[in-house]
Amino acid sequence: MDFETKTSIVTGGARGIGRGIALELARRGSNVIIADMDEESAKGVVAEIKAGGTQSYYCETDVTQQWSTDDMVEATLEAFGQLDVLVNNAGVGGAEGFKTRKNPSVDDWQSTFDVNVFGIVNSTQSVENYMVERGYGKIVNISSTAGRAGRPGFASYAASKAAAINVSQAWAFKLAEHGINVNTVCPGLIWTPLWENIAEWRQFTHAQNAGLTPRQIFQQTVSELVPLGREQTVEDVGKAVAFLASERAKSITGQALNVDGGIRQN
Amino acid sequence: MNFKRQVAVVTGGATGIGRAIALKLAEKGASVMIADINENAAAQTADEAREISGNSSSFVTDVTDLEACDALVNGTVEELGPADFLINNAGIAGSAGWQTRSHSTEDDWKRTYQVNVIGMTNVTSAFRAQMTKRRSGRIVNLASIAGREGRPSLPHYSASKAAVISLTQSTALELARFNITVNAICPGLLWTPMWEQVGDRYANANPAFKGMNPRQVFDTMIADNIPMKTEQTPEDVADAVAFLLSEDSKNITGQSLNVDGGFFMR
Repeated sequence: MDFETKTSIVTGGARGIGRGIALELARRGSNVIIADMDEESAKGVVAEIKAGGTQSYYCETDVTQQWSTDDMVEATLEAFGQLDVLVNNAGVGGAEGFKTRKNPSVDDWQSTFDVNVFGIVNSTQSVENYMVERGYGKIVNISSTAGRAGRPGFASYAASKAAAINVSQAWAFKLAEHGINVNTVCPGLIWTPLWENIAEWRQFTHAQNAGLTPRQIFQQTVSELVPLGREQTVEDVGKAVAFLASERAKSITGQALNVDGGIRQN
Repeated sequence: MNFKRQVAVVTGGATGIGRAIALKLAEKGASVMIADINENAAAQTADEAREISGNSSSFVTDVTDLEACDALVNGTVEELGPADFLINNAGIAGSAGWQTRSHSTEDDWKRTYQVNVIGMTNVTSAFRAQMTKRRSGRIVNLASIAGREGRPSLPHYSASKAAVISLTQSTALELARFNITVNAICPGLLWTPMWEQVGDRYANANPAFKGMNPRQVFDTMIADNIPMKTEQTPEDVADAVAFLLSEDSKNITGQSLNVDGGFFMR
Protein backbone atom coordinates (compact mmCIF):
# COMPACT_ATOMS: atom_id res chain seq x y z
CA MET A 1 0.00 0.00 0.00
CA ASP A 2 1.34 3.36 -1.07
CA PHE A 3 0.32 5.34 2.00
CA GLU A 4 0.84 3.08 5.00
CA THR A 5 2.03 5.18 8.00
CA LYS A 6 1.48 8.35 5.92
CA THR A 7 -0.63 11.34 6.85
CA SER A 8 -2.68 13.36 4.37
CA ILE A 9 -4.72 16.53 4.58
CA VAL A 10 -7.65 16.89 2.20
CA THR A 11 -9.17 20.38 2.15
CA GLY A 12 -12.86 20.35 1.29
CA GLY A 13 -12.75 16.66 2.16
CA ALA A 14 -16.25 16.50 3.61
CA ARG A 15 -18.19 16.11 0.37
CA GLY A 16 -18.01 15.44 -3.34
CA ILE A 17 -14.62 15.00 -4.94
CA GLY A 18 -12.77 15.75 -1.69
CA ARG A 19 -14.59 12.93 0.06
CA GLY A 20 -13.66 10.59 -2.81
CA ILE A 21 -10.01 11.56 -2.51
CA ALA A 22 -9.98 11.18 1.28
CA LEU A 23 -11.53 7.71 1.12
CA GLU A 24 -9.13 6.57 -1.62
CA LEU A 25 -6.04 7.72 0.30
CA ALA A 26 -7.40 6.05 3.43
CA ARG A 27 -8.10 2.84 1.54
CA ARG A 28 -4.41 2.84 0.58
CA GLY A 29 -3.32 3.15 4.20
CA SER A 30 -3.20 6.88 4.93
CA ASN A 31 -4.39 8.70 8.01
CA VAL A 32 -6.47 11.62 6.79
CA ILE A 33 -7.32 15.03 8.17
CA ILE A 34 -10.61 16.32 6.77
CA ALA A 35 -10.13 20.09 6.61
CA ASP A 36 -13.53 21.65 5.94
CA MET A 37 -16.18 23.98 7.29
CA ASP A 38 -19.08 21.53 7.04
CA GLU A 39 -18.64 19.74 10.35
CA GLU A 40 -21.53 17.33 10.01
CA SER A 41 -20.53 15.97 6.59
CA ALA A 42 -16.85 15.92 7.58
CA LYS A 43 -17.60 13.81 10.64
CA GLY A 44 -19.40 11.34 8.41
CA VAL A 45 -16.27 10.94 6.30
CA VAL A 46 -14.12 10.64 9.43
CA ALA A 47 -16.34 7.80 10.62
CA GLU A 48 -16.12 6.04 7.23
CA ILE A 49 -12.32 6.27 7.28
CA LYS A 50 -12.05 4.99 10.83
CA ALA A 51 -14.28 2.05 9.95
CA GLY A 52 -11.76 1.23 7.23
CA GLY A 53 -8.97 0.98 9.77
CA THR A 54 -6.93 4.19 9.56
CA GLN A 55 -7.11 7.32 11.69
CA SER A 56 -9.00 10.44 10.77
CA TYR A 57 -9.95 13.77 12.33
CA TYR A 58 -12.07 16.70 11.33
CA CYS A 59 -10.27 20.02 11.39
CA GLU A 60 -12.45 23.10 11.02
CA THR A 61 -10.61 25.09 8.35
CA ASP A 62 -11.30 28.22 6.33
CA VAL A 63 -8.76 27.99 3.50
CA THR A 64 -9.23 31.67 2.67
CA GLN A 65 -7.49 32.57 5.94
CA GLN A 66 -3.78 31.99 6.39
CA TRP A 67 -4.13 31.71 10.18
CA SER A 68 -6.67 28.95 9.66
CA THR A 69 -4.49 26.85 7.32
CA ASP A 70 -1.56 27.42 9.72
CA ASP A 71 -3.75 25.99 12.50
CA MET A 72 -4.72 23.09 10.20
CA VAL A 73 -1.08 22.10 9.71
CA GLU A 74 -0.25 22.55 13.38
CA ALA A 75 -3.19 20.37 14.41
CA THR A 76 -2.15 17.69 11.89
CA LEU A 77 1.42 17.56 13.19
CA GLU A 78 0.14 17.47 16.75
CA ALA A 79 -2.16 14.56 16.00
CA PHE A 80 0.13 12.47 13.79
CA GLY A 81 3.66 13.86 14.16
CA GLN A 82 4.06 14.08 10.40
CA LEU A 83 2.43 15.33 7.20
CA ASP A 84 3.19 13.67 3.88
CA VAL A 85 0.43 14.66 1.48
CA LEU A 86 -1.56 17.88 1.05
CA VAL A 87 -4.52 17.77 -1.31
CA ASN A 88 -5.87 21.26 -2.06
CA ASN A 89 -9.38 20.39 -3.10
CA ALA A 90 -11.61 23.01 -1.44
CA GLY A 91 -13.45 24.93 -4.13
CA VAL A 92 -16.59 26.91 -4.85
CA GLY A 93 -18.58 27.69 -7.98
CA GLY A 94 -19.26 31.27 -6.94
CA ALA A 95 -20.55 33.41 -4.09
CA GLU A 96 -23.81 32.63 -2.30
CA GLY A 97 -26.62 32.43 -4.84
CA PHE A 98 -24.33 32.24 -7.90
CA LYS A 99 -26.64 29.76 -9.57
CA THR A 100 -29.34 32.41 -9.88
CA ARG A 101 -27.11 34.87 -11.77
CA LYS A 102 -26.69 34.75 -15.52
CA ASN A 103 -23.25 36.34 -15.37
CA PRO A 104 -20.81 36.26 -12.47
CA SER A 105 -21.01 39.22 -10.09
CA VAL A 106 -18.02 40.92 -8.46
CA ASP A 107 -18.73 38.76 -5.43
CA ASP A 108 -18.59 35.62 -7.57
CA TRP A 109 -15.19 36.61 -8.91
CA GLN A 110 -13.94 37.43 -5.43
CA SER A 111 -15.28 34.26 -3.88
CA THR A 112 -13.96 31.84 -6.52
CA PHE A 113 -10.52 33.42 -6.37
CA ASP A 114 -10.55 33.55 -2.55
CA VAL A 115 -11.27 29.84 -2.24
CA ASN A 116 -10.06 28.23 -5.48
CA VAL A 117 -6.79 30.18 -5.77
CA PHE A 118 -5.89 31.79 -2.43
CA GLY A 119 -7.05 28.61 -0.70
CA ILE A 120 -4.28 26.73 -2.52
CA VAL A 121 -1.77 29.50 -1.84
CA ASN A 122 -2.59 29.68 1.88
CA SER A 123 -2.50 25.94 2.49
CA THR A 124 0.69 25.53 0.47
CA GLN A 125 2.36 28.37 2.36
CA SER A 126 1.37 26.72 5.60
CA VAL A 127 3.05 23.41 4.74
CA GLU A 128 6.03 24.40 2.61
CA ASN A 129 8.54 25.22 5.37
CA TYR A 130 7.82 21.93 7.10
CA MET A 131 8.10 19.96 3.84
CA VAL A 132 11.29 21.75 2.74
CA GLU A 133 12.92 21.09 6.10
CA ARG A 134 12.00 17.44 5.80
CA GLY A 135 13.05 17.22 2.15
CA TYR A 136 9.86 15.37 1.30
CA GLY A 137 6.27 16.15 0.45
CA LYS A 138 3.49 15.64 -2.05
CA ILE A 139 1.04 18.36 -2.98
CA VAL A 140 -1.85 17.71 -5.34
CA ASN A 141 -4.13 20.57 -6.35
CA ILE A 142 -7.59 20.08 -7.77
CA SER A 143 -8.36 22.27 -10.74
CA SER A 144 -10.92 21.47 -13.44
CA THR A 145 -11.17 20.91 -17.17
CA ALA A 146 -12.95 24.28 -17.00
CA GLY A 147 -9.51 25.72 -16.29
CA ARG A 148 -8.20 24.52 -19.65
CA ALA A 149 -10.18 26.99 -21.76
CA GLY A 150 -12.17 30.17 -21.12
CA ARG A 151 -15.93 30.07 -21.64
CA PRO A 152 -18.59 32.74 -21.19
CA GLY A 153 -21.07 32.56 -18.33
CA PHE A 154 -19.03 30.58 -15.90
CA ALA A 155 -15.96 32.72 -16.60
CA SER A 156 -15.06 33.37 -12.96
CA TYR A 157 -14.92 29.68 -12.09
CA ALA A 158 -12.94 28.79 -15.23
CA ALA A 159 -10.47 31.60 -14.67
CA SER A 160 -9.92 30.60 -11.04
CA LYS A 161 -9.23 27.02 -12.11
CA ALA A 162 -6.77 28.19 -14.79
CA ALA A 163 -5.03 30.18 -12.08
CA ALA A 164 -4.89 27.03 -9.93
CA ILE A 165 -2.91 25.26 -12.66
CA ASN A 166 -0.52 28.18 -12.94
CA VAL A 167 -0.06 28.45 -9.17
CA SER A 168 0.74 24.72 -9.06
CA GLN A 169 3.49 25.22 -11.63
CA ALA A 170 5.02 28.08 -9.65
CA TRP A 171 5.23 25.97 -6.51
CA ALA A 172 6.36 22.92 -8.45
CA PHE A 173 9.35 24.91 -9.65
CA LYS A 174 10.05 26.43 -6.28
CA LEU A 175 9.89 23.19 -4.31
CA ALA A 176 11.34 20.75 -6.89
CA GLU A 177 14.89 20.77 -5.60
CA HIS A 178 13.62 20.01 -2.10
CA GLY A 179 12.17 16.68 -3.13
CA ILE A 180 8.58 17.95 -3.14
CA ASN A 181 6.21 17.15 -6.00
CA VAL A 182 3.38 19.53 -6.86
CA ASN A 183 0.86 18.40 -9.45
CA THR A 184 -2.70 19.15 -10.48
CA VAL A 185 -5.67 17.01 -11.40
CA CYS A 186 -8.33 18.49 -13.70
CA PRO A 187 -11.58 16.58 -13.18
CA GLY A 188 -14.15 16.56 -15.97
CA LEU A 189 -17.86 15.92 -15.45
CA ILE A 190 -18.61 14.48 -12.03
CA TRP A 191 -21.98 14.33 -10.34
CA THR A 192 -21.26 16.22 -7.13
CA PRO A 193 -23.09 18.88 -5.08
CA LEU A 194 -21.11 21.47 -7.08
CA TRP A 195 -22.28 20.09 -10.41
CA GLU A 196 -25.85 20.02 -9.14
CA ASN A 197 -25.51 23.75 -8.56
CA ILE A 198 -24.05 24.23 -12.03
CA ALA A 199 -27.01 22.36 -13.51
CA GLU A 200 -29.44 24.56 -11.57
CA TRP A 201 -27.58 27.59 -12.91
CA ARG A 202 -28.06 26.21 -16.44
CA GLN A 203 -31.76 25.56 -15.84
CA PHE A 204 -32.00 29.23 -15.15
CA THR A 205 -29.64 30.62 -17.80
CA HIS A 206 -29.85 28.24 -20.77
CA ALA A 207 -33.23 28.26 -22.50
CA GLN A 208 -32.67 24.78 -23.96
CA ASN A 209 -32.12 23.40 -20.44
CA ALA A 210 -35.36 24.78 -19.00
CA GLY A 211 -37.68 21.97 -17.88
CA LEU A 212 -34.90 19.41 -17.48
CA THR A 213 -33.87 18.15 -14.06
CA PRO A 214 -30.30 18.91 -12.93
CA ARG A 215 -29.36 15.26 -13.42
CA GLN A 216 -30.81 15.30 -16.96
CA ILE A 217 -28.79 18.42 -17.76
CA PHE A 218 -25.69 16.68 -16.44
CA GLN A 219 -26.31 13.55 -18.49
CA GLN A 220 -26.94 15.57 -21.61
CA THR A 221 -23.66 17.41 -21.08
CA VAL A 222 -21.84 14.10 -20.63
CA SER A 223 -23.20 12.69 -23.86
CA GLU A 224 -22.36 15.88 -25.76
CA LEU A 225 -18.84 16.39 -24.44
CA VAL A 226 -17.22 13.18 -23.24
CA PRO A 227 -15.55 11.07 -25.97
CA LEU A 228 -15.56 7.98 -23.72
CA GLY A 229 -19.31 8.52 -23.37
CA ARG A 230 -19.59 8.24 -19.60
CA GLU A 231 -19.42 10.48 -16.55
CA GLN A 232 -16.28 10.54 -14.44
CA THR A 233 -16.45 9.68 -10.76
CA VAL A 234 -14.95 10.93 -7.51
CA GLU A 235 -13.17 7.57 -7.33
CA ASP A 236 -11.43 8.31 -10.66
CA VAL A 237 -10.11 11.55 -9.23
CA GLY A 238 -9.12 9.85 -5.97
CA LYS A 239 -7.10 7.28 -7.91
CA ALA A 240 -5.31 9.90 -10.02
CA VAL A 241 -4.49 11.87 -6.86
CA ALA A 242 -3.24 8.69 -5.19
CA PHE A 243 -0.95 8.00 -8.14
CA LEU A 244 0.47 11.52 -8.20
CA ALA A 245 0.99 11.49 -4.41
CA SER A 246 2.78 8.13 -4.50
CA GLU A 247 6.44 7.29 -4.98
CA ARG A 248 5.44 5.83 -8.34
CA ALA A 249 5.19 9.41 -9.57
CA LYS A 250 8.34 10.70 -7.87
CA SER A 251 9.72 12.14 -11.14
CA ILE A 252 6.46 13.84 -12.10
CA THR A 253 6.03 17.47 -11.04
CA GLY A 254 4.38 20.60 -12.37
CA GLN A 255 1.93 18.56 -14.44
CA ALA A 256 -1.82 18.95 -14.79
CA LEU A 257 -3.57 15.68 -15.56
CA ASN A 258 -7.07 15.75 -17.06
CA VAL A 259 -9.38 13.07 -15.69
CA ASP A 260 -12.19 13.87 -18.06
CA GLY A 261 -12.85 11.01 -20.45
CA GLY A 262 -11.06 12.91 -23.21
CA ILE A 263 -13.02 16.21 -23.12
CA ARG A 264 -9.80 18.17 -23.29
CA GLN A 265 -6.57 16.71 -24.59
CA ASN A 266 -3.26 17.85 -23.34
CA MET B 1 -2.75 -2.83 -9.55
CA ASN B 2 -3.02 -6.35 -10.77
CA PHE B 3 -2.43 -7.33 -14.38
CA LYS B 4 -2.89 -11.07 -13.96
CA ARG B 5 -4.25 -12.73 -17.11
CA GLN B 6 -3.69 -9.47 -19.03
CA VAL B 7 -1.70 -9.59 -22.24
CA ALA B 8 0.63 -6.68 -23.02
CA VAL B 9 2.53 -6.02 -26.23
CA VAL B 10 5.58 -3.77 -25.93
CA THR B 11 7.18 -2.65 -29.19
CA GLY B 12 10.88 -1.93 -28.88
CA GLY B 13 10.60 -3.91 -25.67
CA ALA B 14 14.00 -5.60 -25.83
CA THR B 15 16.14 -2.79 -24.42
CA GLY B 16 16.11 0.57 -22.64
CA ILE B 17 12.79 2.07 -21.59
CA GLY B 18 10.81 -0.66 -23.40
CA ARG B 19 12.54 -3.37 -21.41
CA ALA B 20 11.82 -1.59 -18.13
CA ILE B 21 8.15 -1.30 -19.10
CA ALA B 22 7.99 -5.00 -20.07
CA LEU B 23 9.52 -6.14 -16.79
CA LYS B 24 7.31 -3.83 -14.72
CA LEU B 25 4.19 -5.24 -16.37
CA ALA B 26 5.49 -8.78 -15.83
CA GLU B 27 5.99 -7.94 -12.13
CA LYS B 28 2.32 -7.00 -11.99
CA GLY B 29 1.42 -10.36 -13.48
CA ALA B 30 0.94 -9.57 -17.17
CA SER B 31 1.93 -11.89 -20.00
CA VAL B 32 4.23 -9.77 -22.11
CA MET B 33 4.98 -9.96 -25.82
CA ILE B 34 8.34 -8.35 -26.57
CA ALA B 35 8.08 -7.08 -30.15
CA ASP B 36 11.44 -5.90 -31.35
CA ILE B 37 13.57 -5.84 -34.46
CA ASN B 38 16.50 -7.20 -32.44
CA GLU B 39 15.75 -10.93 -32.18
CA ASN B 40 18.34 -11.97 -29.60
CA ALA B 41 17.77 -9.09 -27.21
CA ALA B 42 13.98 -9.60 -27.52
CA ALA B 43 14.29 -13.29 -26.65
CA GLN B 44 16.47 -12.45 -23.67
CA THR B 45 14.06 -9.86 -22.26
CA ALA B 46 11.17 -12.28 -22.86
CA ASP B 47 13.06 -14.89 -20.83
CA GLU B 48 13.42 -12.39 -17.99
CA ALA B 49 9.74 -11.46 -18.18
CA ARG B 50 8.73 -15.13 -18.26
CA GLU B 51 10.71 -15.81 -15.11
CA ILE B 52 8.76 -13.06 -13.37
CA SER B 53 5.20 -13.57 -14.62
CA GLY B 54 5.34 -17.16 -15.85
CA ASN B 55 4.17 -16.37 -19.36
CA SER B 56 5.83 -14.13 -21.92
CA SER B 57 7.21 -14.32 -25.42
CA SER B 58 9.05 -12.43 -28.12
CA PHE B 59 8.30 -11.66 -31.75
CA VAL B 60 10.63 -10.20 -34.35
CA THR B 61 8.84 -7.11 -35.61
CA ASP B 62 9.77 -4.30 -37.94
CA VAL B 63 7.11 -1.70 -37.14
CA THR B 64 7.62 0.00 -40.49
CA ASP B 65 6.24 -3.13 -42.19
CA LEU B 66 2.45 -3.32 -41.93
CA GLU B 67 2.39 -7.06 -42.70
CA ALA B 68 4.87 -7.68 -39.92
CA CYS B 69 2.54 -5.79 -37.58
CA ASP B 70 -0.40 -8.02 -38.62
CA ALA B 71 1.82 -11.03 -37.99
CA LEU B 72 2.54 -9.66 -34.53
CA VAL B 73 -1.19 -9.48 -33.77
CA ASN B 74 -1.66 -13.12 -34.80
CA GLY B 75 1.52 -14.27 -33.10
CA THR B 76 0.39 -12.63 -29.86
CA VAL B 77 -3.02 -14.32 -30.02
CA GLU B 78 -1.44 -17.72 -30.65
CA GLU B 79 1.16 -17.49 -27.93
CA LEU B 80 -0.48 -15.40 -25.20
CA GLY B 81 -4.03 -14.50 -26.24
CA PRO B 82 -5.59 -11.28 -27.54
CA ALA B 83 -3.79 -8.13 -26.45
CA ASP B 84 -5.33 -6.07 -23.66
CA PHE B 85 -2.52 -3.50 -23.62
CA LEU B 86 -0.44 -2.07 -26.44
CA ILE B 87 2.63 -0.04 -25.56
CA ASN B 88 3.99 1.74 -28.64
CA ASN B 89 7.54 2.30 -27.51
CA ALA B 90 9.70 1.49 -30.56
CA GLY B 91 11.59 4.58 -31.62
CA ILE B 92 14.81 5.84 -33.12
CA ALA B 93 16.66 9.14 -33.17
CA GLY B 94 17.85 9.16 -36.79
CA SER B 95 19.21 7.08 -39.67
CA ALA B 96 22.52 5.26 -39.30
CA GLY B 97 25.29 7.57 -38.13
CA TRP B 98 22.96 10.36 -36.87
CA GLN B 99 24.89 10.75 -33.64
CA THR B 100 28.07 11.73 -35.49
CA ARG B 101 26.41 14.44 -37.60
CA SER B 102 25.85 18.04 -36.58
CA HIS B 103 22.83 18.45 -38.87
CA SER B 104 19.85 16.31 -39.81
CA THR B 105 19.87 14.71 -43.25
CA GLU B 106 16.87 13.90 -45.40
CA ASP B 107 17.36 10.28 -44.38
CA ASP B 108 17.26 11.25 -40.70
CA TRP B 109 13.91 12.95 -41.30
CA LYS B 110 12.47 10.09 -43.33
CA ARG B 111 13.71 7.22 -41.22
CA THR B 112 12.71 8.84 -37.91
CA TYR B 113 9.22 9.64 -39.16
CA GLN B 114 8.97 6.15 -40.66
CA VAL B 115 9.64 4.42 -37.33
CA ASN B 116 8.39 6.87 -34.67
CA VAL B 117 5.17 7.98 -36.35
CA ILE B 118 4.20 5.70 -39.23
CA GLY B 119 5.48 2.67 -37.31
CA MET B 120 3.22 3.65 -34.43
CA THR B 121 0.16 3.98 -36.67
CA ASN B 122 1.01 0.63 -38.28
CA VAL B 123 1.03 -1.23 -34.98
CA THR B 124 -2.06 0.60 -33.70
CA SER B 125 -3.97 -0.15 -36.92
CA ALA B 126 -2.98 -3.78 -36.71
CA PHE B 127 -4.38 -4.15 -33.16
CA ARG B 128 -7.37 -1.88 -33.78
CA ALA B 129 -9.82 -4.48 -35.12
CA GLN B 130 -9.30 -6.86 -32.23
CA MET B 131 -9.57 -4.16 -29.57
CA THR B 132 -12.65 -2.47 -31.04
CA LYS B 133 -14.38 -5.84 -31.40
CA ARG B 134 -13.73 -6.66 -27.73
CA ARG B 135 -14.81 -3.13 -26.73
CA SER B 136 -11.76 -2.82 -24.50
CA GLY B 137 -8.11 -1.98 -24.71
CA ARG B 138 -5.44 0.37 -23.45
CA ILE B 139 -2.83 2.00 -25.62
CA VAL B 140 0.13 3.96 -24.30
CA ASN B 141 2.43 5.72 -26.74
CA LEU B 142 5.94 6.79 -25.88
CA ALA B 143 6.49 10.38 -26.95
CA SER B 144 9.20 12.55 -25.42
CA ILE B 145 9.65 15.96 -23.85
CA ALA B 146 11.50 16.66 -27.11
CA GLY B 147 8.01 16.71 -28.63
CA ARG B 148 6.84 19.50 -26.30
CA GLU B 149 8.97 22.22 -27.89
CA GLY B 150 11.17 22.53 -30.96
CA ARG B 151 14.92 22.59 -30.38
CA PRO B 152 17.73 23.01 -32.91
CA SER B 153 19.84 20.03 -31.82
CA LEU B 154 17.64 17.17 -33.07
CA PRO B 155 14.85 18.82 -35.08
CA HIS B 156 13.74 15.65 -36.87
CA TYR B 157 13.43 13.77 -33.57
CA SER B 158 11.55 16.63 -31.84
CA ALA B 159 9.14 16.92 -34.76
CA SER B 160 8.47 13.18 -34.80
CA LYS B 161 7.70 13.19 -31.08
CA ALA B 162 5.40 16.23 -31.43
CA ALA B 163 3.62 14.15 -34.08
CA VAL B 164 3.30 11.31 -31.57
CA ILE B 165 1.53 13.62 -29.10
CA SER B 166 -0.86 14.75 -31.84
CA LEU B 167 -1.36 11.20 -33.07
CA THR B 168 -2.19 10.11 -29.52
CA GLN B 169 -4.97 12.71 -29.38
CA SER B 170 -6.41 11.72 -32.76
CA THR B 171 -6.34 8.03 -31.90
CA ALA B 172 -7.87 8.70 -28.47
CA LEU B 173 -10.84 10.51 -30.02
CA GLU B 174 -11.23 7.85 -32.70
CA LEU B 175 -11.22 4.90 -30.29
CA ALA B 176 -13.03 6.44 -27.29
CA ARG B 177 -16.43 5.14 -28.35
CA PHE B 178 -15.01 1.61 -28.24
CA ASN B 179 -14.00 2.02 -24.59
CA ILE B 180 -10.34 2.14 -25.57
CA THR B 181 -8.11 4.74 -23.93
CA VAL B 182 -5.05 6.14 -25.67
CA ASN B 183 -2.49 8.19 -23.77
CA ALA B 184 1.15 9.13 -24.10
CA ILE B 185 4.10 9.44 -21.77
CA CYS B 186 6.77 12.06 -22.42
CA PRO B 187 9.94 10.85 -20.73
CA GLY B 188 12.46 13.50 -19.74
CA LEU B 189 16.20 12.85 -19.42
CA LEU B 190 17.04 9.17 -18.93
CA TRP B 191 20.47 7.59 -19.13
CA THR B 192 19.72 4.97 -21.79
CA PRO B 193 21.75 3.68 -24.78
CA MET B 194 19.87 6.26 -26.87
CA TRP B 195 20.84 9.16 -24.64
CA GLU B 196 24.48 8.13 -24.74
CA GLN B 197 24.31 8.73 -28.48
CA VAL B 198 22.35 11.94 -28.03
CA GLY B 199 25.22 13.12 -25.85
CA ASP B 200 27.65 12.43 -28.70
CA ARG B 201 25.47 14.35 -31.11
CA TYR B 202 25.15 17.36 -28.76
CA ALA B 203 28.92 17.43 -28.21
CA ASN B 204 29.35 17.46 -31.99
CA ALA B 205 26.60 19.91 -32.84
CA ASN B 206 26.39 22.39 -29.97
CA PRO B 207 29.38 24.60 -29.03
CA ALA B 208 28.14 24.73 -25.43
CA PHE B 209 28.93 21.02 -25.05
CA LYS B 210 32.18 20.92 -27.05
CA GLY B 211 34.76 18.50 -25.65
CA MET B 212 32.35 16.91 -23.16
CA ASN B 213 31.72 13.18 -22.98
CA PRO B 214 28.08 12.04 -23.28
CA ARG B 215 27.60 11.65 -19.54
CA GLN B 216 28.91 15.17 -18.93
CA VAL B 217 26.49 16.51 -21.54
CA PHE B 218 23.68 14.58 -19.82
CA ASP B 219 24.57 15.89 -16.36
CA THR B 220 24.82 19.46 -17.67
CA MET B 221 21.41 19.13 -19.30
CA ILE B 222 19.92 18.00 -16.00
CA ALA B 223 21.53 20.78 -13.98
CA ASP B 224 20.35 23.40 -16.49
CA ASN B 225 16.84 22.14 -17.22
CA ILE B 226 15.37 19.87 -14.58
CA PRO B 227 13.86 21.66 -11.56
CA MET B 228 14.13 18.46 -9.48
CA LYS B 229 17.85 18.30 -10.37
CA THR B 230 17.74 14.54 -10.81
CA GLU B 231 17.69 12.26 -13.84
CA GLN B 232 14.57 10.23 -14.55
CA THR B 233 14.73 6.46 -14.79
CA PRO B 234 13.16 3.80 -17.00
CA GLU B 235 11.44 2.65 -13.79
CA ASP B 236 9.76 6.07 -13.46
CA VAL B 237 8.43 5.77 -17.00
CA ALA B 238 7.31 2.19 -16.43
CA ASP B 239 5.38 3.22 -13.29
CA ALA B 240 3.54 5.92 -15.25
CA VAL B 241 2.77 3.49 -18.09
CA ALA B 242 1.42 0.98 -15.58
CA PHE B 243 -0.88 3.65 -14.12
CA LEU B 244 -2.24 4.54 -17.56
CA LEU B 245 -2.89 0.84 -18.29
CA SER B 246 -4.67 0.21 -15.01
CA GLU B 247 -8.34 0.44 -14.08
CA ASP B 248 -7.34 3.42 -11.94
CA SER B 249 -7.10 5.52 -15.10
CA LYS B 250 -10.14 4.23 -16.97
CA ASN B 251 -11.49 7.76 -17.50
CA ILE B 252 -8.22 9.29 -18.67
CA THR B 253 -7.70 9.45 -22.43
CA GLY B 254 -5.95 11.68 -24.95
CA GLN B 255 -3.46 12.91 -22.37
CA SER B 256 0.30 13.18 -22.66
CA LEU B 257 1.97 13.02 -19.28
CA ASN B 258 5.47 14.41 -18.78
CA VAL B 259 7.70 12.26 -16.57
CA ASP B 260 10.51 14.76 -16.54
CA GLY B 261 11.20 16.18 -13.07
CA GLY B 262 9.42 19.39 -14.09
CA PHE B 263 11.40 20.13 -17.33
CA PHE B 264 8.17 21.03 -19.13
CA MET B 265 5.04 21.99 -17.24
CA ARG B 266 2.50 21.70 -19.99
